[in-house]
Amino acid sequence: MSGGAGGLAPVRVERALGLLPDLEVLNPLRALLVSISRPDERTMWSSSGPYLTLGKRGVQPEELRRHLPPLLHSIAGHMRGLYDAYAEALECQQRSDGAGAAAALVKAGRSEEKVGRLAQALTWYETALAIAEGLQDRRPELGALRSLGEVCLALGRYTEAARHFQRSLAISEAEFDQASAIIACDRLGDAALAQSEWAGAEAWYGRGLRLAEGARDARGIGRLERSLAMLARKQGDLTTADIHLRRARALVESVGAADAMAQVLNGQGQLDAQLGRHSAAYATYREALAWAQRAPRDAGLEVSIRLNLAELQLETGRFLEAEAELRRAEQVAIAENLTSRLVQIYTLMGKLRGQQLDDTGFVFFEQAIELSRALERSPAISARVYVEYGLFKNQLGQHEEARGYLERAREIFESLGEAPDVERVESELQRMSA
Amino acid sequence: MLRVLAVATEGAAGVFQNIKQWAAQADVEFESVPELPLAVRQLAAARWDIVLAVLGEHADGDLAWWVDALRGAAGSPRLIVAARRPSMGLALRAERLGVVDLLTVPLRRDDFERALGRVRSAASEVPIPLPEVKSDAVGQYMLVGQSAAMLEVYKLMARVAPSAATVLIRGDSGTGKEVVARAIHLNGPRAARPFVAVNCAAIPENLLESELFGHEKGAFTGAVARKIGRFEQAGGGTLFLDEVADMSLALQAKILRAVQEREIERVGGGETIPVDVRLVAATNRDLKEAIAQGRFREDLYYRFAVVTIRLPRLAERGDDLSLLTAYFARQFAERYGKRITAISDNALDLLRHHNWVGNVRELRNVIERATIVATDEMLRAEHLPEELRGEERALPDRPQGALLTLAEVEARHIARVLAHTSGQIGAAAEILGIHRNTLTRKMREYGL
Repeated sequence: MSGGAGGLAPVRVERALGLLPDLEVLNPLRALLVSISRPDERTMWSSSGPYLTLGKRGVQPEELRRHLPPLLHSIAGHMRGLYDAYAEALECQQRSDGAGAAAALVKAGRSEEKVGRLAQALTWYETALAIAEGLQDRRPELGALRSLGEVCLALGRYTEAARHFQRSLAISEAEFDQASAIIACDRLGDAALAQSEWAGAEAWYGRGLRLAEGARDARGIGRLERSLAMLARKQGDLTTADIHLRRARALVESVGAADAMAQVLNGQGQLDAQLGRHSAAYATYREALAWAQRAPRDAGLEVSIRLNLAELQLETGRFLEAEAELRRAEQVAIAENLTSRLVQIYTLMGKLRGQQLDDTGFVFFEQAIELSRALERSPAISARVYVEYGLFKNQLGQHEEARGYLERAREIFESLGEAPDVERVESELQRMSA
Repeated sequence: MLRVLAVATEGAAGVFQNIKQWAAQADVEFESVPELPLAVRQLAAARWDIVLAVLGEHADGDLAWWVDALRGAAGSPRLIVAARRPSMGLALRAERLGVVDLLTVPLRRDDFERALGRVRSAASEVPIPLPEVKSDAVGQYMLVGQSAAMLEVYKLMARVAPSAATVLIRGDSGTGKEVVARAIHLNGPRAARPFVAVNCAAIPENLLESELFGHEKGAFTGAVARKIGRFEQAGGGTLFLDEVADMSLALQAKILRAVQEREIERVGGGETIPVDVRLVAATNRDLKEAIAQGRFREDLYYRFAVVTIRLPRLAERGDDLSLLTAYFARQFAERYGKRITAISDNALDLLRHHNWVGNVRELRNVIERATIVATDEMLRAEHLPEELRGEERALPDRPQGALLTLAEVEARHIARVLAHTSGQIGAAAEILGIHRNTLTRKMREYGL
């Protein structure tokens, strides 16, 4: 990295973040800081190069300053959008146009979602729902419920999400809105799947599939077939998963939806890997990446494919390639400020070092924990990192620390009521004692 | 002259009409057949450099068939395929299966010539057998290299290893500082005790102290259990502190105390623990400059720099590059279950002319990648990373940095002629103007 004004060395991200108070209003600045950070070129080939994490990247204050006007401009634009939406809702209220008011509030929520402010979006949608519920026309209510359900899913509030989608399904059926009913079933399946309620998920996906088939909605059928495949894979029924994925692939390819194709292939790759069809899995992930590049930019999807690919490379002992893939994923995640993905990336990097019996790999787990603290849903994410950290320490023969990390993970999972995870940690602890 | 066999079934023979004209101008012997059985017969009857296959409606199946059919065919012809509406999936599969190029029907002259160019450039690469890396090139320190610059390093290591002196190893990134530190340890009186390495630049600042000195359970958030630090782990052995210039001044003070007093305290613990370690430190920075800037303690510098070893950059190590290339190629071939016996002249030229900013570490990385992607026993230019291949155009006709020996020039020329005659010794001897027996002897001598 070239020196900044007066040739001064860049400030490390770990130090730069240490100077930034933990205030919600400063989140855009935090995101900017991360996205403009660069690795120091001098460290690229140094012995610390392979251990480079976000915290060790550098930021030039003058570069940050250069980026401030466009950032402030976009923040002002966002705020203007919210204020305008409110003014629009007020005007609608004045005209007794409740549907218009609800639509304006939902628009504000969408705008919050786009910039990653999910909790704020939720509040806008709740306000919109309160207005929509009093209307004779049920469509605004349907819109608000769907938006609420989606944001609750994204926030990991699955029970709440299921409640919203159940109401939206009832309304869509009453209003003969087939497309909304299909989406509601799919999302109800997702909520059930996330809570390990296999039978419930299967019932919702099945119902959605029947509706989509009745409506000859190829895209919808493809999406539901993919959901059913995911469910079958989680249940360990790989043959059924394979059948669903093949159907999904044929349908999605026929409608030429690049993003959906990338998602289907990502799932297919995971299945191939699980079935031990490693060459097929490699080819499928590569093809998924190619489709993802053709689709409208979805950094989250790209990182997900790269993470799966890296995991496969790790599993098959192709460490060099796994590292390169993880570094590519890291680049995308940093540029797009995908913190939760960065946590996954660093956890996998740590795991990679563990397989090479390299104890300096602990730096990746430390970075992952540090980042997960900054996330809204941090406890469960941190706990997953602690589990891998514990296994890493155990691999290196550091049993006391290994046990410490696993116990910490168990505590967190217990406090969150995540029974399957508690069970998994318990069995790891027992294996360690044996 | 390249020999191309073109095959178009399903009534697509018309696509080759233009190619016949282009082929004549491009110094290509061209023959087309309208059906697969005839193509199979032609493949068995003569040697072809290229098969150009037009894929039918079931392009994927056709592609797989051709790849299979050419496996083991005489002369190992390269495959170029063409399809009417090539999908992305087909392009990816073709690339994975080692197809030279996937063209679109109707064929365009530029595309065809570009594909020919790729085959020509791969065919013109001459294999140079990898040299044996004999034990005297590795020596007691397990360092590969016979250059004068490395001999100086070995002499210094021989003097310092048996002593208990603290050593400071200086050198650019990737020059092998940790390898030297390990060698000093293994050839010293503490060889039976642990060698513990700490990379000061890799570890977050707030954790480095506890990593070095250890901590008690609950000393800070995240201290889930008691941890024994690296100073204690290295007890009786050697503690290697890499990239020491990255330590904070506060930590430098604590290290200095540990070195002077020979005792440490765990973070969050009140107990003083005696330590007995030999310190070897390393840096790629100029510590004297860091001292002048107030970023490094002078007293600690003098503690570290009792003996200083400076490691040469790869560029200063002459033909160690060839030895290291051979050493790494064999090491990785074994790891990845492959057999690598040669490197092409083009690839070696590229390696010799590359600016190795990352020194041996970068070379090792490049050879590992090349070994992974190599499909036969030779590392070729195409196996090297894009940034090296990008330098191909800038290569002089004759290497300036590392001039070839007469024997190397002769070996390359013989290999080129043999490639031209498809391995026919009689024809090659005639072109070279030497007796057949002489050629056979030289081939043996150069490992061709």
